[in-house]
Amino acid sequence: MIRALAFALCVAALPVSAHDLRVFASVAGETVTVETTFSSGRVPTGGEIRVLDADNVLLMTLEVGADGKTQFPLPEGAAETGLMIEVDVSEGHSDYWMLTPDDIAYGQGTN
Amino acid sequence: MLKRLAICLSMVAGAAFAQDRPVVATVNYPLAWMAERLGGDAVEVLFPVPEGRDPSFWRPGLSEIAAIQQADLIALNGAGFATWTTRTSLPRSRIVDTSAGFSDAYIATQSVTHSHGADGEHSHTGTASYTWLDFAQAAQQAEALAAAMQRRMPELSDQIDAALPSVLADLAALDAETRSALIALQGKTILATHPRYQYFARAYGLDITSLEWDAGAMPDDAQWAELQAIADQTGASLLIWEAAPPAAALDRAHVMGLTSVVFSPLATRPASGDFLSVMRGQIAGMGSAR
Repeated sequence: MIRALAFALCVAALPVSAHDLRVFASVAGETVTVETTFSSGRVPTGGEIRVLDADNVLLMTLEVGADGKTQFPLPEGAAETGLMIEVDVSEGHSDYWMLTPDDIAYGQGTN
Repeated sequence: MLKRLAICLSMVAGAAFAQDRPVVATVNYPLAWMAERLGGDAVEVLFPVPEGRDPSFWRPGLSEIAAIQQADLIALNGAGFATWTTRTSLPRSRIVDTSAGFSDAYIATQSVTHSHGADGEHSHTGTASYTWLDFAQAAQQAEALAAAMQRRMPELSDQIDAALPSVLADLAALDAETRSALIALQGKTILATHPRYQYFARAYGLDITSLEWDAGAMPDDAQWAELQAIADQTGASLLIWEAAPPAAALDRAHVMGLTSVVFSPLATRPASGDFLSVMRGQIAGMGSAR
């Protein structure tokens, strides 16, 4: 009884884990890489990536890769205007990353 | 003809002047006010959050981010304010986190614990971010901003040296006025429509219980019921609105026995007046609404 109570107290005292979705996007040459993880380090199980241009026009929709990493070719004209990357994962979390023309130029070695 | 030519020339000269000035981008109005006070006409202060938008959660467009990235100095509030700042690349050498100097005094906000997905039960903890509502902390932010401006804009160093004491004196006076004006509210529970006042409460010895109402909106029946329950439980008689609500909301709060005061945290630029004058008016209003 005491043992069970002690165990219950131990479990109750354990902190709940904290996690938030983290999205990071970068450009290398003509390829955009989107990395999606939780702050706990875990990779989300499925999710949707929306790629929008500077006028908020949807350019493409992609699946979050199995390892949380998704790559796609840099859309035409994006180097001039930038890209907005929005990610929704199946577990109710969402986040975004903004790639500006400066970021893209840096990734292309032209900045 | 001559008049038109003179206007054109003055516009060209004005544009050239604006282009020559170093740019300080800020994430909220208090920092914009400090930058304006410190730099005067010698700096251009960029605070691009549109009117009516909450700068804490505002998401800039790509063109706005591009403009911010080009600024000579990007003044962050820190304490998690302006979530967009962690969702793009900002040039590290041109960033100043104005509250970093007192980060050990940040207030952790209540976490929301829920369960879904493979992580099981988890929480979303946060940090109270309206740091400047403790006016002594605001003064520390002004000092950090001044130092960063001097580092990035050495040509303005003398001007900033001359302007800083006046900013600090104004904030110290505001701090003292607030302490004195609100002393009678200590020991009483105050209700607030939104959790913005954690640092304000701590600095001035107030007990503020916050709701989660939308700024300026008419609360629904469930929200009124919640307010009544909390008022009954705490004996509160003062209700702080983050933004002016519809008149009907003020009437209803009055019927419930609550005295309403509108106290904007001034995260955005006020329609008239400046940080100091508006804040002074609000503090005086709260002090007299007992």
